[in-house]
Amino acid sequence: MRRRVAPIVASFVGVVMVAFLWVLVSAEPNAPDDAFSPLVGQPAPAVVTTTLDDAPFDLARRKGSWVVLNFFNSTCVPCINEHDELLAFAAAQQDEENPAEMYTVVNDDSDEAVTEFFAANGGEWPKLRDPDGAVAVAFGVARVPETWLIDPNGVVRLRIAGELTPSLLDEQLASLRTAFGI
Amino acid sequence: MSARVRASLWVLLAAAFAGLLAFGTLRESGPLSQQDRIDSISRRLACPTCSGESIYVSRAAAAESIYAEIARQVSDGQRNDDEIIAYIESRFGGQVLLVPRATGIDAVVWALPVAVFVASLAVLGMAFARWRRREQSGPSNADRQLVSDALTNEAGKES
Amino acid sequence: MIGAIGRALLLVGVVGSLFGAIAAFSAARAKQINNPNESVARLVPRFAWLAFGAAVLAFVTMEWAMVTRDFSLAYVQKVGSTATPTLYNLAAVWSALEGSILLWVLVLAGYVVGVYHWLRRKRDDELGLWAMGVMFVVSLFFFLISFGPANPFAAGAPGVTDGPGPNPLLQNHILVMFHPPMLYLGYVGFTVPFAFAIAALITGRVGEGWLLATRRWTLVSWGFLTFGIVLGGWWSYEVLGWSGVWAWDPVENASLLPWLTGTAYIHSVLVQERRGMLRVWNLSLLVATFSLTILGTFLTRSGVLNSVHAFSESDIGPWLLTFFAVIVVVSIGLIGWRGDRLHAPGSIDSPISREGAFLANNVLLSVFAFVVLLGTVFPLVVEALQSRTIVVGEPFFDRMSIPIGIAILTIMAIAPVLPWRKASGELLSQRLLWPAIFGMVALLVSVLVGATGLAPLLTFALGGFAAGSALRQIALASRRQGWRGFVGRANGGMIVHLGVILMSVALAASNSYTHSQELDLVQGRPASFSGHTFELVDVVEETTDRSVSVKALVSIDGGQAYAPAITRFTKIGMNVGTPSVRTGLAKDIYLTLEPPVRQDSGEARIKVFIKPMILWLWVGGFMMAFGTLLALFPGRRRRRATDPVSADVPLDSNLEETAGR
Repeated sequence: MRRRVAPIVASFVGVVMVAFLWVLVSAEPNAPDDAFSPLVGQPAPAVVTTTLDDAPFDLARRKGSWVVLNFFNSTCVPCINEHDELLAFAAAQQDEENPAEMYTVVNDDSDEAVTEFFAANGGEWPKLRDPDGAVAVAFGVARVPETWLIDPNGVVRLRIAGELTPSLLDEQLASLRTAFGI
Repeated sequence: MSARVRASLWVLLAAAFAGLLAFGTLRESGPLSQQDRIDSISRRLACPTCSGESIYVSRAAAAESIYAEIARQVSDGQRNDDEIIAYIESRFGGQVLLVPRATGIDAVVWALPVAVFVASLAVLGMAFARWRRREQSGPSNADRQLVSDALTNEAGKES
Repeated sequence: MIGAIGRALLLVGVVGSLFGAIAAFSAARAKQINNPNESVARLVPRFAWLAFGAAVLAFVTMEWAMVTRDFSLAYVQKVGSTATPTLYNLAAVWSALEGSILLWVLVLAGYVVGVYHWLRRKRDDELGLWAMGVMFVVSLFFFLISFGPANPFAAGAPGVTDGPGPNPLLQNHILVMFHPPMLYLGYVGFTVPFAFAIAALITGRVGEGWLLATRRWTLVSWGFLTFGIVLGGWWSYEVLGWSGVWAWDPVENASLLPWLTGTAYIHSVLVQERRGMLRVWNLSLLVATFSLTILGTFLTRSGVLNSVHAFSESDIGPWLLTFFAVIVVVSIGLIGWRGDRLHAPGSIDSPISREGAFLANNVLLSVFAFVVLLGTVFPLVVEALQSRTIVVGEPFFDRMSIPIGIAILTIMAIAPVLPWRKASGELLSQRLLWPAIFGMVALLVSVLVGATGLAPLLTFALGGFAAGSALRQIALASRRQGWRGFVGRANGGMIVHLGVILMSVALAASNSYTHSQELDLVQGRPASFSGHTFELVDVVEETTDRSVSVKALVSIDGGQAYAPAITRFTKIGMNVGTPSVRTGLAKDIYLTLEPPVRQDSGEARIKVFIKPMILWLWVGGFMMAFGTLLALFPGRRRRRATDPVSADVPLDSNLEETAGR
């Protein structure tokens, strides 16, 4: 019996190793980014801040319109890539009878850099300051870009994490408008 | 030093040890300042954009924002530590919890080390028991035969 | 041009290692079948020197390219910069993957030559040749990945004239020059005893000869690894600005894992030497130590730990993982095959004995290593099985390591006085009396000073107890042997123990009793915290060609000004906070500057950390290094083992000869 201890223990350790290696090697490709947030379907968190033009902003007072909050940083590559989409979306909204309101929330960036970016690339909508990240934390935003849709009753309806694909925002907003009739 | 004096010295030492330890453990360590609370909460939360660093350690932007939020809520005084952690978790999801939960597969990370330690103690105990049994059983028959053969050979050589 | 030269040198290294392995294995096999081949054996040192020369030249080439800012190489484009000072440019070579593998190759090739030189008097010993072969195989692997997937000499995009330089955190402090090379000297050094272990298994000569012979190599590697880890903690404290020394992050854990099993090994080996026992333990610990260095490199370099799905995106991951698998399978196979020879004829008589203490030590350190490994890879496992991210961080590791640490301190307190085989209660009560009193005094002092909390108080008490045992050993030894009582394995080891105790006590104190406070300082109005006053003297701005620093000059208790700073590295656009520390005997006062700060505002927000006993961490670290040095000196001449079970087990052919007599 004692003769067999070594091979038995060795095979046991071998089995554990094989299982460990299998776990490391057989990793499935990543599932698409889960955009679930516990805030969807809940009243939006309070957002009270100022715009880059020093005008006051209070999310609660925007009830009555759909609100789009886009979390942005002028050095983040996907944010730069999706900027044209946002411009197209904002332009299309002008033709709606109840246009959605577009706001950019500045995430970990300086006022100057953001102003410069928008001056060079267009986009007239208000940009909101978020100096210590309170708004980002309230929405649970860790990485930019993220785009949030809030309905006219102040309830969060959609979270899009990552770069916007063409027409995604228009389509989503249209289907939400139909779904909720507002 | 005689054995008896030494024994009483040991008893004294044990008593003093227990007493001092109890005193020190149960003693109040002073009120927890707000900063201490913030530090302890931020050590229990993970930075969502780093690879496992706590909010306390990390200097990333997301971590600094969460730290500022913790500071705000601590100074408000409305929530206790667990509630603040629950709030942050409700916003960012389970990825910010630095202490794995004790449910489901996460419990394995707590249970496995204990299981391994207990198992190793059990194996050691069994090994000691087996060694002691072997000691008591004395030399085996094969060994006795070997010795008597060798002695016979020696006796044969001498004669 | 320079890329081609470098790459060609690496190819020379590959060839040298390959042929060196072939030569060593053939010579060893020839010896084994009693048909020695001298000419092949003579080739072994030639190939060793060839590989070493190639490695040195390749490394020098890389440094040359970095120092002359030759941006034709992709690697220089990645980590080189015209703005980085030369000193940091030299260290930039090992700041990213390709260069650090090159450093590994250099150190390993150096060890191969060193081992051969040490072996040359016993050149005709078959075991040595097998060991050289194994070392050549490992060297071949690293030359291959440096030539292939981790090629530092790959050509970069054309027309690039400058680079971002290494991460600004790596340009702040001179320690960056020493910490990685020191770690590598330790890591890579464990290849040597591993190679001998494999050689012993292959030849079946699993007695003690090879162990004793490689003792110094193992101790030197362990010493370097220990010092490298301590330097890493020092760097974390001085540079990173969160005021801590250890964050249980995956890279740190990767360096701790082989240290834990290596520590178990250097203790457990004494039992094998003395009584021929615990052979399987020792071989397993050695295999574990070496394979953990490979696994650690895999975990930190393959990107696996950022996301398990980044694994297949990195080139080097599959290579390292395969090598790890091969090592583990071959080693376990060999141990299983030779299992019958590894059985110790003796047994441990009583758990209360030195053997019992070392066995308990093995178990505790192995469990510790298991816990650290589990915590590090558990997020991977969960992500692979359930596709969700979890994090296992400080709280888990702290909660697990505290009981284990306390148990280890207890063993450290009792083991030095334990005799071999069996100890009576009487003997223990005699020998442990003064150490116990010492521990009691330590506890009393801690309580009087105001310490609270069960874990830290236990640490202080047991630390004092263990220090008493260690001091007792040193006192007895020096009384018997004069200055020789301070050198040699046992006594140097006691000094290392003292270092460990100092570090444990300092860690317990600083982890449990750190207090911090954020202070908004206004020029001219001092603020106070924890019995000290802080006054903002000035806020200054310093510009260099690569950075802009804003420094707040803060005078502590009306004395010298300390200058925590925030530095913006203009090229990369990254902000780095630099702390400023006032070191003291009992505590450090650690200052950081909090953003945002403006130069002319006359205001600054600082965070003050009061960190007890940090200085003793570094003192303990140096004691460990110093004790290791002392342990390397020959001490009291040991009697040759008269116990026949400790002698080399003869080969099968010899056994037949003696049996036939």
